Amino acid sequence: MFSWSTIVENLPYLLQATRFTLLVSGLGMGLGLVMGMVLCVARLSPIRWISRIAALYVSFFRGVPLLVQLLLAYYFLPSIGIDIPPLWAAVCSIGLCAAAYIAEILRGALIAVPHGQAEAAAALGMHPFTIWKRILIPQALKISMPSLVNELIMLVKVSSLVSAVGIVELTRMSQSISAATFRPLEIYIAAAAIYLVINLALAGLGQALEKRLDY
Amino acid sequence: MKMYSFKGAVLGLGLAVFAAGSAAADMLADIKASGEMTFGTEMHYAPFDLLVNGQYEGLCKDLMDEVTKDLGVTPKYNDLPWTSVLPGLEAGKFQMVNAPVTITAERMERYSFTLPIADASVGLIKRTGDDRITKPEDIAGLVVGSQKGSAQLEQLKVFGEGVGGIDVREYSSVDEAYADLAAGRLDAVAGSFPLLGYAASKRPEIFETVTPVFGEKKYFAWVAVKSEETESMIAAVNEILLNMQDDGRMAKLHEKWLGTAVELPREMPAVK
Amino acid sequence: MDIDLFVQYGPMLLRGLLNTVLCWIVGAAGGIALGFVIAVAMYYGPRPLRYVLRGYIEVIRGTPFLIQLFILYYGGPNIGLRLDPVPAGILGLIIYGSPYYAEIFRAGLQAVPRGMIEAGRAMAMSEGKILRRITLPILMVSSVPPLTNFSIILTKETAILSIVTVPELLYQVQTMSAETFAYMEAMFALALFYWGFVEVISWAGRKLEHKTNAFLSKELSA
Repeated sequence: MFSWSTIVENLPYLLQATRFTLLVSGLGMGLGLVMGMVLCVARLSPIRWISRIAALYVSFFRGVPLLVQLLLAYYFLPSIGIDIPPLWAAVCSIGLCAAAYIAEILRGALIAVPHGQAEAAAALGMHPFTIWKRILIPQALKISMPSLVNELIMLVKVSSLVSAVGIVELTRMSQSISAATFRPLEIYIAAAAIYLVINLALAGLGQALEKRLDY
Repeated sequence: MKMYSFKGAVLGLGLAVFAAGSAAADMLADIKASGEMTFGTEMHYAPFDLLVNGQYEGLCKDLMDEVTKDLGVTPKYNDLPWTSVLPGLEAGKFQMVNAPVTITAERMERYSFTLPIADASVGLIKRTGDDRITKPEDIAGLVVGSQKGSAQLEQLKVFGEGVGGIDVREYSSVDEAYADLAAGRLDAVAGSFPLLGYAASKRPEIFETVTPVFGEKKYFAWVAVKSEETESMIAAVNEILLNMQDDGRMAKLHEKWLGTAVELPREMPAVK
Repeated sequence: MDIDLFVQYGPMLLRGLLNTVLCWIVGAAGGIALGFVIAVAMYYGPRPLRYVLRGYIEVIRGTPFLIQLFILYYGGPNIGLRLDPVPAGILGLIIYGSPYYAEIFRAGLQAVPRGMIEAGRAMAMSEGKILRRITLPILMVSSVPPLTNFSIILTKETAILSIVTVPELLYQVQTMSAETFAYMEAMFALALFYWGFVEVISWAGRKLEHKTNAFLSKELSA
């Protein structure tokens, strides 16, 4: 017997926890995008050791499960004298991990920007920084928008892992309510609906941005 | 403030070596000085620890509220998945685990336990109306689930051998075992009896307890890191727990959450 | 770090890794196949079918795998779908991966230059031959890097199969840490096994990329 009342009664608590899902994934996204751009530039750097370090970073953060990264940041770093509050451990882990994927997405897109454009700009005497800012990055962003949105949707979903450091986000709250009401199916279906709304909004935003970058 | 920690060093590709470190300090003195005592638990063990309308409730909370009141400090509770609770304790993220932890010999080697706070004997629940199981021995040859790594799982395995073999399935959390009992893949779930009784009282149309309990007598208690620094804290908590047994607060809270009050040992029970 | 633990639990951990790899191979292969069918159906199919598939993609992509798998495994019996842990886990992975793979193929199909297909028609190639000799080879080449990328992401999702008691790596590691309290060791075991696994996949992906590129240049010049 599907119990709608269980969903209705617990919806406020699910929404309350959703705030943390949004907060952690929002801040993680910001950090991931910034770090991802830096990493992408580093990977394409002509200086060997810089690109090597960036490649190692990508390999580590893509290879090691996020849950392990998170536990290391929160439970292992204190033992070598670095103590980070839970929210920052969560945001940093998610952001640094997302950066590895975002860097790869941007790199793929940059390779697709025709070479001649940067060369033409350089010939016109544009500063390399300006070339990145005005020519390469805007185009790479446009090309990579669908993959980036995909990655951001992924990030919202993996933000459930931050419960491991004590942040009660949407998935965690659903598990807690299920454990107290013994009605997991109803609660999980409600949680799935909330995730879906967030991610559809993200996808819509991505499409709108893609149109705006169409100049 | 780090009472006990893993002194770690990063070697090569992230391999780490760690050993127990120590700092001369007294946790109880710290707690009294700061006026705050920090706890970690998983709020998924109704009726011990649970979230009701988003608020932390349960026997362990009520008991600990009393303990900290007597100590004159404010409790601060953290909700963590069980796999993070003991690592969090060891990393010094909080001072005590106020989840119901079954006292076992292996765990006593690694952690300091308080005096028992409740009975943890292992029992069974089945699907309501399943006539095949009327007493624990009837699970012979059936499929029974339990939580991985729990003391109750060990008891179930021993019991299973005694009755001629059962098909034991291990779950990451007891919640999933309940879900699989409801889904019909399991014939019964073994766990500590108070937990099962609560599940049966919440969903009587699905779950029904099987009496009596079986196996060795087991107790729940709270744990802290095993070190000199926590000795005075454990002693202070134990003293308050005994007072609560004497003045009837313990019995009252047991009745509130478990329906009945049981006699608890006044000293650390012997464990094999 | 207690090295003896790895000796004691080694066989169990390796069995877990083997199960992880097997579930991943079948799950990813199935997801790629289903994703391909969806992409083709969306590209060539009638409009109502496209709407239905778009809805499927958005719903599956927008919800976490943990919740999907929980509902499939524990909720399935309510509607008569009773699966064992491993089949449920693999089916879950196939369903979860299919929309991502479908989107990759869809983008790939759209990227095939129209001019090349028209050139094929002008040379009186049959539609089947155009598909075989032009569309598919180009699709293959452009899809390999994103396919690798998502398949790597899917390796991490296999850890979620532990909630339905599939004895994969995380499940075995949890057993080890629950029995011995060796949480540090458990974390390092997870980190190393997954890192190694992912590196092997990336390497294979790069090899495949070179192979398909070589194949394409040979095909086009032939």
